[in-house]
Amino acid sequence: MDNSICQVYEDEIQSLEEEIKLLAEKYEDSQQESTFFSDEEILMSIKSFQRESEGHESLSDLITQLESLETDLSFLKKFTGIQFTSHFKEIVEKTTNRTVRKHRLSGNCYSLSFQLEFQLLEMQNKENVSAVVTDLGIIMESGEDSDMSKFVSSTEEHGNLLRFFRSLSSYAEWYEHRRCTFLHFKGKYPDIVTLPEGLLGDYIVLRNPKHSGFELMIVWKIHIDEEGRTTPVLDLLTKVPEQVLEQKMATIENAPTCFRSMLLLFGIETALENLIKVVGLEK
Amino acid sequence: GVFAHLERLEAQAREVAVKQEKMKQEEEKRARLKARVRELRLQRDKLLAKVRLQKKQLREKRAMSDPAKSGARAVLEWKIKNIKAMLQVSYLTGINGKRTKQGVCFCISTAYESTYLDSYYVHLLVKPEVQIHQHSVPTFIPLEQIAKQYLQTDIGRFLSVLSDHLNAYAGRKYQADQLQEHFSDQIEGTLQRNSLCNLLVFNYKVSSKSKTFPFNARLLYGDLCCSLPTEVNVSCTPDAPASLAEMAAAHSDLFSRVALHKAFRSFSSDEESMD
Repeated sequence: MDNSICQVYEDEIQSLEEEIKLLAEKYEDSQQESTFFSDEEILMSIKSFQRESEGHESLSDLITQLESLETDLSFLKKFTGIQFTSHFKEIVEKTTNRTVRKHRLSGNCYSLSFQLEFQLLEMQNKENVSAVVTDLGIIMESGEDSDMSKFVSSTEEHGNLLRFFRSLSSYAEWYEHRRCTFLHFKGKYPDIVTLPEGLLGDYIVLRNPKHSGFELMIVWKIHIDEEGRTTPVLDLLTKVPEQVLEQKMATIENAPTCFRSMLLLFGIETALENLIKVVGLEK
Repeated sequence: GVFAHLERLEAQAREVAVKQEKMKQEEEKRARLKARVRELRLQRDKLLAKVRLQKKQLREKRAMSDPAKSGARAVLEWKIKNIKAMLQVSYLTGINGKRTKQGVCFCISTAYESTYLDSYYVHLLVKPEVQIHQHSVPTFIPLEQIAKQYLQTDIGRFLSVLSDHLNAYAGRKYQADQLQEHFSDQIEGTLQRNSLCNLLVFNYKVSSKSKTFPFNARLLYGDLCCSLPTEVNVSCTPDAPASLAEMAAAHSDLFSRVALHKAFRSFSSDEESMD
Protein backbone atom coordinates (compact mmCIF):
# COMPACT_ATOMS: atom_id res chain seq x y z
CA MET A 1 0.00 0.00 0.00
CA ASP A 2 2.87 2.34 0.80
CA ASN A 3 4.37 1.60 -2.58
CA SER A 4 1.23 2.62 -4.40
CA ILE A 5 1.09 5.99 -2.67
CA CYS A 6 4.72 6.61 -3.60
CA GLN A 7 3.93 5.55 -7.15
CA VAL A 8 1.04 8.04 -7.32
CA TYR A 9 3.34 10.82 -6.07
CA GLU A 10 6.05 9.82 -8.57
CA ASP A 11 3.58 9.80 -11.46
CA GLU A 12 2.34 13.22 -10.50
CA ILE A 13 5.91 14.48 -10.20
CA GLN A 14 6.67 13.30 -13.71
CA SER A 15 3.54 14.85 -15.18
CA LEU A 16 4.19 18.14 -13.35
CA GLU A 17 7.79 18.24 -14.59
CA GLU A 18 6.58 17.73 -18.16
CA GLU A 19 3.92 20.38 -17.76
CA ILE A 20 6.47 22.82 -16.38
CA LYS A 21 8.79 22.23 -19.34
CA LEU A 22 5.87 22.78 -21.71
CA LEU A 23 4.75 25.99 -20.02
CA ALA A 24 8.30 27.32 -19.88
CA GLU A 25 8.77 26.73 -23.60
CA LYS A 26 5.34 28.27 -24.35
CA TYR A 27 6.33 31.37 -22.42
CA GLU A 28 9.68 31.59 -24.24
CA ASP A 29 7.99 31.12 -27.62
CA SER A 30 5.43 33.86 -26.95
CA GLN A 31 8.11 36.25 -25.72
CA GLN A 32 10.10 35.56 -28.86
CA GLU A 33 7.15 35.84 -31.25
CA SER A 34 5.66 38.97 -29.70
CA THR A 35 8.83 40.81 -30.59
CA PHE A 36 10.21 41.53 -33.94
CA PHE A 37 13.34 43.46 -34.79
CA SER A 38 14.21 44.31 -38.36
CA ASP A 39 17.71 43.88 -39.71
CA GLU A 40 18.36 47.64 -39.49
CA GLU A 41 17.34 47.70 -35.86
CA ILE A 42 19.64 44.79 -35.17
CA LEU A 43 22.56 46.50 -36.91
CA MET A 44 21.95 49.66 -34.89
CA SER A 45 21.90 47.63 -31.71
CA ILE A 46 25.17 45.97 -32.62
CA LYS A 47 26.80 49.36 -33.20
CA SER A 48 25.55 50.81 -29.95
CA PHE A 49 26.47 47.61 -28.18
CA GLN A 50 30.00 47.77 -29.48
CA ARG A 51 30.32 51.28 -28.14
CA GLU A 52 28.95 50.23 -24.74
CA SER A 53 30.97 47.06 -24.50
CA GLU A 54 34.35 48.68 -24.99
CA GLY A 55 36.39 46.86 -22.42
CA HIS A 56 33.63 44.45 -21.36
CA GLU A 57 34.64 41.12 -22.82
CA SER A 58 31.59 39.19 -21.75
CA LEU A 59 29.23 41.56 -23.57
CA SER A 60 31.11 41.45 -26.86
CA ASP A 61 30.80 37.65 -26.66
CA LEU A 62 27.17 38.16 -27.68
CA ILE A 63 28.21 39.89 -30.87
CA THR A 64 30.73 37.17 -31.69
CA GLN A 65 28.08 34.54 -31.02
CA LEU A 66 25.61 36.32 -33.31
CA GLU A 67 28.15 36.61 -36.12
CA SER A 68 29.12 32.96 -35.83
CA LEU A 69 25.46 31.87 -35.96
CA GLU A 70 24.78 34.05 -38.98
CA THR A 71 27.77 32.52 -40.75
CA ASP A 72 26.46 29.03 -39.99
CA LEU A 73 23.06 29.96 -41.39
CA SER A 74 24.44 31.45 -44.58
CA PHE A 75 26.71 28.43 -44.94
CA LEU A 76 23.66 26.28 -45.67
CA LYS A 77 23.02 28.43 -48.69
CA LYS A 78 26.35 27.53 -50.27
CA PHE A 79 25.60 23.91 -51.02
CA THR A 80 21.85 23.73 -51.45
CA GLY A 81 20.94 27.32 -52.31
CA ILE A 82 18.40 27.25 -49.48
CA GLN A 83 18.18 30.26 -47.21
CA PHE A 84 15.69 30.69 -44.40
CA THR A 85 14.39 34.22 -43.92
CA SER A 86 11.86 33.83 -41.14
CA HIS A 87 10.78 31.20 -38.66
CA PHE A 88 7.94 30.92 -36.18
CA LYS A 89 7.45 27.99 -33.84
CA GLU A 90 4.83 27.07 -31.29
CA ILE A 91 4.97 24.22 -28.83
CA VAL A 92 1.90 22.02 -28.87
CA GLU A 93 2.82 19.05 -26.71
CA LYS A 94 5.81 18.12 -24.60
CA THR A 95 6.28 14.87 -22.69
CA THR A 96 9.42 12.93 -21.80
CA ASN A 97 9.77 11.25 -25.18
CA ARG A 98 7.40 13.20 -27.41
CA THR A 99 7.58 16.81 -28.52
CA VAL A 100 5.15 18.31 -31.00
CA ARG A 101 5.67 21.78 -32.42
CA LYS A 102 4.02 23.84 -35.13
CA HIS A 103 6.41 25.58 -37.48
CA ARG A 104 6.12 28.32 -40.06
CA LEU A 105 9.21 28.68 -42.17
CA SER A 106 9.85 31.10 -45.02
CA GLY A 107 12.85 31.27 -47.24
CA ASN A 108 14.13 31.03 -50.74
CA CYS A 109 16.17 28.71 -52.89
CA TYR A 110 18.17 30.79 -55.38
CA SER A 111 15.44 32.93 -56.92
CA LEU A 112 12.42 30.87 -55.84
CA SER A 113 10.61 31.79 -52.61
CA PHE A 114 8.62 29.44 -50.45
CA GLN A 115 6.48 29.51 -47.32
CA LEU A 116 5.97 26.37 -45.29
CA GLU A 117 3.67 25.39 -42.49
CA PHE A 118 3.87 22.04 -40.76
CA GLN A 119 3.66 20.17 -37.52
CA LEU A 120 6.74 18.29 -36.39
CA LEU A 121 6.58 15.36 -34.00
CA GLU A 122 9.95 14.51 -32.50
CA MET A 123 10.31 11.27 -30.57
CA GLN A 124 13.19 10.12 -28.46
CA ASN A 125 13.65 6.38 -28.54
CA LYS A 126 16.53 4.23 -27.29
CA GLU A 127 19.17 5.08 -29.90
CA ASN A 128 18.09 8.20 -31.70
CA VAL A 129 15.57 10.92 -32.32
CA SER A 130 13.03 10.41 -35.08
CA ALA A 131 10.87 13.11 -36.59
CA VAL A 132 7.55 12.96 -38.44
CA VAL A 133 6.03 15.78 -40.47
CA THR A 134 2.25 16.26 -40.53
CA ASP A 135 -0.17 18.88 -41.86
CA LEU A 136 2.29 20.15 -44.41
CA GLY A 137 1.25 23.27 -46.33
CA ILE A 138 3.42 24.82 -49.03
CA ILE A 139 3.07 28.11 -50.84
CA MET A 140 5.38 28.75 -53.76
CA GLU A 141 5.78 32.19 -55.27
CA SER A 142 5.58 30.74 -58.79
CA GLY A 143 2.23 29.26 -57.87
CA GLU A 144 0.60 29.48 -61.29
CA ASP A 145 3.04 27.04 -62.88
CA SER A 146 0.97 23.86 -63.34
CA ASP A 147 4.00 21.56 -63.05
CA MET A 148 4.93 23.12 -59.75
CA SER A 149 1.36 22.99 -58.43
CA LYS A 150 1.13 19.26 -59.09
CA PHE A 151 4.45 18.66 -57.39
CA VAL A 152 3.41 20.79 -54.41
CA SER A 153 0.08 18.95 -54.05
CA SER A 154 1.75 15.56 -54.16
CA THR A 155 4.33 16.71 -51.60
CA GLU A 156 1.67 18.09 -49.24
CA GLU A 157 -0.32 14.87 -49.49
CA HIS A 158 2.56 12.65 -48.43
CA GLY A 159 4.27 15.10 -46.09
CA ASN A 160 7.41 14.70 -48.17
CA LEU A 161 9.30 17.67 -46.78
CA LEU A 162 12.83 16.36 -47.38
CA ARG A 163 12.08 15.52 -50.99
CA PHE A 164 10.56 18.99 -51.39
CA PHE A 165 13.81 20.67 -50.33
CA ARG A 166 16.00 18.37 -52.42
CA SER A 167 13.84 18.78 -55.54
CA LEU A 168 13.47 22.52 -55.06
CA SER A 169 17.22 22.79 -54.82
CA SER A 170 17.87 21.12 -58.18
CA TYR A 171 14.90 22.86 -59.87
CA ALA A 172 16.01 26.31 -58.66
CA GLU A 173 19.59 25.52 -59.67
CA TRP A 174 18.44 24.91 -63.25
CA TYR A 175 16.50 28.19 -63.16
CA GLU A 176 19.61 29.97 -61.98
CA HIS A 177 21.75 28.21 -64.59
CA ARG A 178 19.36 29.30 -67.34
CA ARG A 179 19.31 32.87 -66.05
CA CYS A 180 23.12 33.01 -65.93
CA THR A 181 23.45 31.50 -69.40
CA PHE A 182 21.02 34.03 -70.87
CA LEU A 183 22.82 36.83 -69.08
CA HIS A 184 26.19 35.65 -70.35
CA PHE A 185 25.12 35.49 -74.00
CA LYS A 186 23.21 38.75 -73.84
CA GLY A 187 26.40 40.38 -72.57
CA LYS A 188 28.68 38.73 -75.11
CA TYR A 189 26.52 39.21 -78.23
CA PRO A 190 24.24 42.15 -77.39
CA ASP A 191 23.31 42.80 -81.05
CA ILE A 192 22.22 39.27 -81.84
CA VAL A 193 20.65 38.08 -78.61
CA THR A 194 17.33 39.43 -77.34
CA LEU A 195 15.30 38.39 -74.33
CA PRO A 196 11.67 39.36 -74.98
CA GLU A 197 10.63 38.10 -71.55
CA GLY A 198 13.77 39.15 -69.77
CA LEU A 199 16.28 37.07 -67.88
CA LEU A 200 13.60 35.13 -66.01
CA GLY A 201 11.72 34.20 -69.17
CA ASP A 202 12.08 30.81 -70.78
CA TYR A 203 13.19 31.73 -74.27
CA ILE A 204 15.87 33.59 -76.13
CA VAL A 205 15.67 35.06 -79.65
CA LEU A 206 18.62 35.26 -81.99
CA ARG A 207 18.53 37.56 -84.98
CA ASN A 208 21.07 39.13 -87.25
CA PRO A 209 20.64 42.94 -87.19
CA LYS A 210 21.26 43.08 -90.97
CA HIS A 211 18.75 40.39 -91.92
CA SER A 212 15.76 41.10 -89.73
CA GLY A 213 13.49 38.51 -91.34
CA PHE A 214 15.47 35.57 -90.08
CA GLU A 215 15.12 34.59 -86.43
CA LEU A 216 15.97 31.65 -84.27
CA MET A 217 14.07 31.13 -81.05
CA ILE A 218 15.43 28.75 -78.44
CA VAL A 219 12.92 27.72 -75.85
CA TRP A 220 14.37 26.37 -72.64
CA LYS A 221 11.70 24.95 -70.37
CA ILE A 222 12.37 23.47 -66.98
CA HIS A 223 9.92 20.75 -66.05
CA ILE A 224 9.36 19.21 -62.65
CA ASP A 225 7.31 16.03 -62.29
CA GLU A 226 5.18 14.92 -59.35
CA GLU A 227 8.09 13.08 -57.79
CA GLY A 228 10.23 16.20 -57.94
CA ARG A 229 12.53 15.17 -60.76
CA THR A 230 13.72 18.16 -62.80
CA THR A 231 14.17 17.91 -66.56
CA PRO A 232 15.31 20.76 -68.77
CA VAL A 233 13.84 20.67 -72.27
CA LEU A 234 15.29 22.79 -75.05
CA ASP A 235 13.74 23.35 -78.45
CA LEU A 236 14.64 25.36 -81.51
CA LEU A 237 12.04 27.32 -83.46
CA THR A 238 12.83 29.06 -86.68
CA LYS A 239 11.31 32.12 -88.27
CA VAL A 240 12.40 32.40 -91.86
CA PRO A 241 11.33 34.76 -94.71
CA GLU A 242 9.49 33.00 -97.51
CA GLN A 243 12.16 33.28 -100.20
CA VAL A 244 14.77 31.64 -98.00
CA LEU A 245 12.28 28.99 -96.96
CA GLU A 246 11.72 27.88 -100.55
CA GLN A 247 15.43 27.56 -101.17
CA LYS A 248 16.54 25.95 -97.97
CA MET A 249 13.47 24.00 -96.87
CA ALA A 250 15.38 20.86 -95.92
CA THR A 251 17.98 22.65 -93.83
CA ILE A 252 15.34 24.65 -92.02
CA GLU A 253 13.23 21.57 -91.35
CA ASN A 254 16.23 19.71 -90.00
CA ALA A 255 17.30 22.54 -87.79
CA PRO A 256 15.47 21.45 -84.61
CA THR A 257 16.86 17.90 -84.89
CA CYS A 258 20.37 19.20 -85.53
CA PHE A 259 20.01 21.41 -82.50
CA ARG A 260 19.07 18.46 -80.33
CA SER A 261 22.08 16.50 -81.52
CA MET A 262 24.30 19.48 -80.82
CA LEU A 263 22.90 19.67 -77.31
CA LEU A 264 23.72 16.05 -76.68
CA LEU A 265 27.19 16.30 -78.12
CA PHE A 266 28.37 19.65 -76.88
CA GLY A 267 26.08 20.69 -74.07
CA ILE A 268 23.84 23.72 -73.80
CA GLU A 269 26.35 26.56 -73.76
CA THR A 270 28.36 25.38 -76.77
CA ALA A 271 25.24 24.55 -78.78
CA LEU A 272 23.81 28.01 -78.11
CA GLU A 273 27.09 29.71 -78.91
CA ASN A 274 27.32 27.81 -82.22
CA LEU A 275 23.81 28.97 -83.17
CA ILE A 276 24.62 32.55 -82.26
CA LYS A 277 27.72 32.46 -84.40
CA VAL A 278 25.74 30.99 -87.30
CA VAL A 279 23.12 33.75 -87.06
CA GLY A 280 25.86 36.33 -86.87
CA LEU A 281 27.48 35.04 -90.07
CA GLU A 282 24.36 34.73 -92.22
CA LYS A 283 24.85 36.40 -95.59
CA GLY B 1 17.84 -21.47 29.08
CA VAL B 2 18.46 -17.92 30.24
CA PHE B 3 21.03 -17.13 27.57
CA ALA B 4 18.88 -18.63 24.83
CA HIS B 5 15.99 -16.54 26.13
CA LEU B 6 18.17 -13.42 26.17
CA GLU B 7 19.34 -14.18 22.63
CA ARG B 8 15.75 -14.47 21.47
CA LEU B 9 14.85 -11.17 23.09
CA GLU B 10 17.89 -9.55 21.46
CA ALA B 11 16.89 -10.93 18.04
CA GLN B 12 13.35 -9.68 18.53
CA ALA B 13 14.62 -6.25 19.56
CA ARG B 14 16.81 -6.12 16.44
CA GLU B 15 13.89 -7.12 14.21
CA VAL B 16 11.75 -4.42 15.74
CA ALA B 17 14.55 -1.86 15.28
CA VAL B 18 14.97 -2.86 11.61
CA LYS B 19 11.21 -2.65 11.05
CA GLN B 20 11.04 0.74 12.73
CA GLU B 21 14.01 1.98 10.64
CA LYS B 22 12.29 0.73 7.47
CA MET B 23 9.03 2.43 8.38
CA LYS B 24 10.88 5.62 9.23
CA GLN B 25 12.61 5.59 5.83
CA GLU B 26 9.35 4.95 4.01
CA GLU B 27 7.70 7.80 5.87
CA GLU B 28 10.60 10.07 5.05
CA LYS B 29 10.36 9.05 1.39
CA ARG B 30 6.63 9.73 1.32
CA ALA B 31 7.14 13.10 3.01
CA ARG B 32 9.88 13.99 0.51
CA LEU B 33 7.73 13.05 -2.46
CA LYS B 34 4.76 14.92 -1.03
CA ALA B 35 6.91 18.02 -0.52
CA ARG B 36 8.28 17.71 -4.05
CA VAL B 37 4.76 17.46 -5.47
CA ARG B 38 3.75 20.58 -3.56
CA GLU B 39 6.88 22.42 -4.73
CA LEU B 40 6.27 21.46 -8.39
CA ARG B 41 2.59 22.34 -8.18
CA LEU B 42 3.56 25.79 -6.92
CA GLN B 43 6.09 26.19 -9.71
CA ARG B 44 3.57 25.05 -12.29
CA ASP B 45 0.88 27.38 -11.00
CA LYS B 46 3.29 30.32 -11.07
CA LEU B 47 4.21 29.53 -14.67
CA LEU B 48 0.58 29.12 -15.63
CA ALA B 49 -0.24 32.52 -14.17
CA LYS B 50 2.77 34.01 -15.96
CA VAL B 51 1.65 32.54 -19.33
CA ARG B 52 -1.92 33.76 -18.81
CA LEU B 53 -0.75 37.26 -17.92
CA GLN B 54 1.49 37.27 -20.96
CA LYS B 55 -1.46 36.31 -23.21
CA LYS B 56 -3.53 39.13 -21.74
CA GLN B 57 -0.73 41.67 -22.19
CA LEU B 58 -0.12 40.61 -25.77
CA ARG B 59 -3.81 40.93 -26.60
CA GLU B 60 -3.89 44.41 -25.16
CA LYS B 61 -0.61 45.73 -26.48
CA ARG B 62 -0.47 44.25 -29.99
CA ALA B 63 2.46 46.50 -30.79
CA MET B 64 5.94 45.82 -32.09
CA SER B 65 8.64 46.31 -29.54
CA ASP B 66 10.64 49.48 -29.49
CA PRO B 67 14.30 48.60 -29.73
CA ALA B 68 15.30 51.75 -27.83
CA LYS B 69 13.24 50.57 -24.88
CA SER B 70 14.45 47.00 -24.98
CA GLY B 71 18.10 47.87 -25.05
CA ALA B 72 20.77 46.55 -27.35
CA ARG B 73 21.37 43.41 -25.30
CA ALA B 74 17.74 42.28 -25.54
CA VAL B 75 17.70 42.88 -29.27
CA LEU B 76 20.81 40.80 -29.82
CA GLU B 77 19.57 38.03 -27.56
CA TRP B 78 16.32 37.97 -29.53
CA LYS B 79 18.16 37.65 -32.82
CA ILE B 80 20.43 34.93 -31.44
CA LYS B 81 17.42 32.90 -30.29
CA ASN B 82 15.78 33.42 -33.67
CA ILE B 83 18.76 32.12 -35.63
CA LYS B 84 19.34 29.22 -33.24
CA ALA B 85 15.76 28.08 -33.81
CA MET B 86 16.25 28.20 -37.58
CA LEU B 87 19.45 26.20 -37.31
CA GLN B 88 17.69 23.60 -35.20
CA VAL B 89 15.28 22.78 -38.02
CA SER B 90 17.77 23.10 -40.84
CA TYR B 91 18.31 19.32 -40.85
CA LEU B 92 14.88 19.13 -42.50
CA THR B 93 16.45 20.36 -45.75
CA GLY B 94 18.47 17.18 -46.08
CA ILE B 95 21.95 18.65 -46.29
CA ASN B 96 23.40 20.62 -43.43
CA GLY B 97 26.93 21.85 -42.94
CA LYS B 98 29.03 23.40 -40.23
CA ARG B 99 32.53 24.73 -40.43
CA THR B 100 35.09 23.12 -38.18
CA LYS B 101 38.70 24.00 -37.42
CA GLN B 102 39.95 21.56 -40.03
CA GLY B 103 37.29 21.95 -42.69
CA VAL B 104 33.59 21.32 -42.95
CA CYS B 105 31.32 18.73 -41.38
CA PHE B 106 28.26 17.86 -43.44
CA CYS B 107 25.20 16.08 -42.12
CA ILE B 108 22.99 14.29 -44.61
CA SER B 109 19.47 13.48 -43.41
CA THR B 110 17.36 10.71 -44.87
CA ALA B 111 13.61 10.37 -44.88
CA TYR B 112 10.83 8.21 -46.25
CA GLU B 113 7.89 10.44 -47.09
CA SER B 114 7.02 12.22 -43.87
CA THR B 115 9.29 10.24 -41.56
CA TYR B 116 12.85 11.39 -41.03
CA LEU B 117 15.19 8.45 -40.55
CA ASP B 118 18.90 8.17 -39.78
CA SER B 119 21.37 10.90 -40.61
CA TYR B 120 24.97 10.46 -41.68
CA TYR B 121 27.89 12.80 -41.41
CA VAL B 122 30.89 13.43 -43.64
CA HIS B 123 33.76 15.50 -42.31
CA LEU B 124 35.80 17.08 -45.10
CA LEU B 125 39.24 18.59 -44.92
CA VAL B 126 39.92 21.41 -47.35
CA LYS B 127 43.71 21.67 -47.20
CA PRO B 128 45.91 20.69 -49.05
CA GLU B 129 43.02 19.42 -51.17
CA VAL B 130 39.46 18.37 -50.49
CA GLN B 131 39.41 14.97 -48.84
CA ILE B 132 37.27 12.94 -46.50
CA HIS B 133 38.55 13.01 -42.94
CA GLN B 134 35.86 11.01 -41.14
CA HIS B 135 32.40 9.77 -41.97
CA SER B 136 29.55 7.61 -40.71
CA VAL B 137 28.45 6.37 -44.11
CA PRO B 138 27.92 2.57 -44.13
CA THR B 139 30.51 0.57 -46.06
CA PHE B 140 28.05 -0.76 -48.63
CA ILE B 141 27.39 2.75 -49.94
CA PRO B 142 29.94 3.47 -52.73
CA LEU B 143 31.40 6.54 -51.01
CA GLU B 144 34.89 6.34 -52.55
CA GLN B 145 33.42 6.03 -56.04
CA ILE B 146 31.20 9.06 -55.57
CA ALA B 147 34.06 11.04 -54.00
CA LYS B 148 36.40 10.14 -56.86
CA GLN B 149 33.88 11.39 -59.40
CA TYR B 150 32.75 14.64 -57.81
CA LEU B 151 34.59 15.65 -54.67
CA GLN B 152 37.41 17.61 -56.31
CA THR B 153 35.29 19.45 -58.86
CA ASP B 154 31.90 20.04 -57.28
CA ILE B 155 31.27 19.46 -53.58
CA GLY B 156 27.59 20.30 -54.01
CA ARG B 157 27.21 17.53 -56.56
CA PHE B 158 29.14 15.11 -54.37
CA LEU B 159 26.71 15.79 -51.50
CA SER B 160 23.69 15.59 -53.78
CA VAL B 161 24.66 12.21 -55.25
CA LEU B 162 25.60 10.86 -51.83
CA SER B 163 22.26 12.06 -50.49
CA ASP B 164 20.45 10.27 -53.34
CA HIS B 165 22.23 6.99 -52.50
CA LEU B 166 21.62 7.30 -48.77
CA ASN B 167 17.98 8.28 -49.15
CA ALA B 168 17.28 5.44 -51.57
CA TYR B 169 18.94 2.98 -49.18
CA ALA B 170 16.95 4.41 -46.25
CA GLY B 171 13.74 4.10 -48.31
CA ARG B 172 14.41 0.46 -49.19
CA LYS B 173 15.33 -0.37 -45.61
CA TYR B 174 12.20 1.38 -44.35
CA GLN B 175 9.97 -0.65 -46.65
CA ALA B 176 11.57 -3.94 -45.58
CA ASP B 177 11.37 -2.96 -41.89
CA GLN B 178 7.72 -1.96 -42.24
CA LEU B 179 6.98 -5.27 -43.92
CA GLN B 180 8.58 -7.22 -41.08
CA GLU B 181 6.95 -5.09 -38.41
CA HIS B 182 3.39 -4.82 -39.69
CA PHE B 183 2.87 -7.77 -42.00
CA SER B 184 4.81 -10.51 -40.21
CA ASP B 185 1.73 -12.74 -40.17
CA GLN B 186 1.76 -12.81 -43.96
CA ILE B 187 5.47 -13.54 -44.24
CA GLU B 188 6.43 -17.22 -44.08
CA GLY B 189 9.84 -17.77 -42.56
CA THR B 190 12.39 -14.96 -42.59
CA LEU B 191 12.69 -12.05 -44.97
CA GLN B 192 16.10 -12.36 -46.56
CA ARG B 193 17.88 -9.15 -47.37
CA ASN B 194 21.41 -7.91 -47.93
CA SER B 195 22.89 -4.97 -46.01
CA LEU B 196 22.35 -2.60 -48.92
CA CYS B 197 18.68 -3.71 -48.92
CA ASN B 198 18.70 -3.97 -52.68
CA LEU B 199 17.92 -7.66 -52.82
CA LEU B 200 14.91 -9.03 -50.99
CA VAL B 201 13.72 -12.62 -51.06
CA PHE B 202 10.76 -13.84 -49.05
CA ASN B 203 7.79 -16.18 -48.99
CA TYR B 204 4.42 -14.65 -48.31
CA LYS B 205 0.78 -15.61 -48.38
CA VAL B 206 -2.35 -13.78 -49.30
CA SER B 207 -5.73 -14.89 -47.99
CA SER B 208 -9.13 -14.38 -49.49
CA LYS B 209 -12.39 -16.13 -48.69
CA SER B 210 -10.62 -18.10 -45.94
CA LYS B 211 -8.18 -19.67 -48.42
CA THR B 212 -4.49 -18.85 -48.39
CA PHE B 213 -2.29 -18.54 -51.44
CA PRO B 214 1.46 -18.93 -51.02
CA PHE B 215 3.96 -17.01 -53.12
CA ASN B 216 7.67 -16.46 -53.32
CA ALA B 217 8.98 -12.99 -54.16
CA ARG B 218 12.39 -11.85 -55.27
CA LEU B 219 12.97 -8.12 -55.62
CA LEU B 220 16.14 -6.69 -57.10
CA TYR B 221 16.76 -2.95 -56.84
CA GLY B 222 19.21 -2.39 -59.67
CA ASP B 223 19.22 1.39 -59.40
CA LEU B 224 20.96 2.28 -56.15
CA CYS B 225 19.42 5.74 -56.21
CA CYS B 226 15.91 4.37 -56.39
CA SER B 227 13.68 2.82 -53.74
CA LEU B 228 11.58 0.85 -56.21
CA PRO B 229 12.83 -2.46 -57.64
CA THR B 230 14.05 -2.84 -61.21
CA GLU B 231 13.39 -6.59 -61.35
CA VAL B 232 10.54 -8.43 -59.64
CA ASN B 233 9.91 -12.15 -59.68
CA VAL B 234 6.81 -13.48 -58.00
CA SER B 235 6.27 -17.20 -58.30
CA CYS B 236 3.93 -19.79 -56.93
CA THR B 237 4.32 -23.55 -56.58
CA PRO B 238 4.61 -25.37 -59.96
CA ASP B 239 1.37 -27.30 -59.43
CA ALA B 240 -0.64 -24.19 -58.65
CA PRO B 241 -3.78 -23.33 -60.66
CA ALA B 242 -3.69 -20.74 -63.45
CA SER B 243 -5.61 -18.19 -61.40
CA LEU B 244 -2.75 -18.20 -58.92
CA ALA B 245 -0.25 -17.58 -61.71
CA GLU B 246 -2.36 -14.60 -62.75
CA MET B 247 -2.27 -13.31 -59.18
CA ALA B 248 1.50 -13.72 -59.14
CA ALA B 249 1.82 -11.65 -62.30
CA ALA B 250 -0.44 -8.95 -60.83
CA HIS B 251 1.64 -8.86 -57.65
CA SER B 252 4.82 -8.69 -59.67
CA ASP B 253 3.51 -5.63 -61.46
CA LEU B 254 2.32 -4.09 -58.19
CA PHE B 255 5.67 -4.53 -56.43
CA SER B 256 7.49 -2.79 -59.25
CA ARG B 257 5.27 0.28 -59.07
CA VAL B 258 4.24 0.62 -55.44
CA ALA B 259 6.25 0.65 -52.21
CA LEU B 260 6.36 -2.81 -50.62
CA HIS B 261 4.54 -2.01 -47.38
CA LYS B 262 1.86 -0.07 -49.26
CA ALA B 263 1.38 -3.02 -51.60
CA PHE B 264 0.84 -5.32 -48.63
CA ARG B 265 -1.54 -2.80 -47.08
CA SER B 266 -3.61 -2.97 -50.26
CA PHE B 267 -3.74 -6.80 -49.93
CA SER B 268 -5.27 -6.53 -46.46
CA SER B 269 -7.81 -3.97 -47.58
CA ASP B 270 -8.64 -6.13 -50.60
CA GLU B 271 -9.23 -9.05 -48.30
CA GLU B 272 -11.50 -6.97 -46.10
CA SER B 273 -13.48 -5.72 -49.05
CA MET B 274 -13.85 -9.24 -50.39
CA ASP B 275 -15.20 -10.65 -47.12
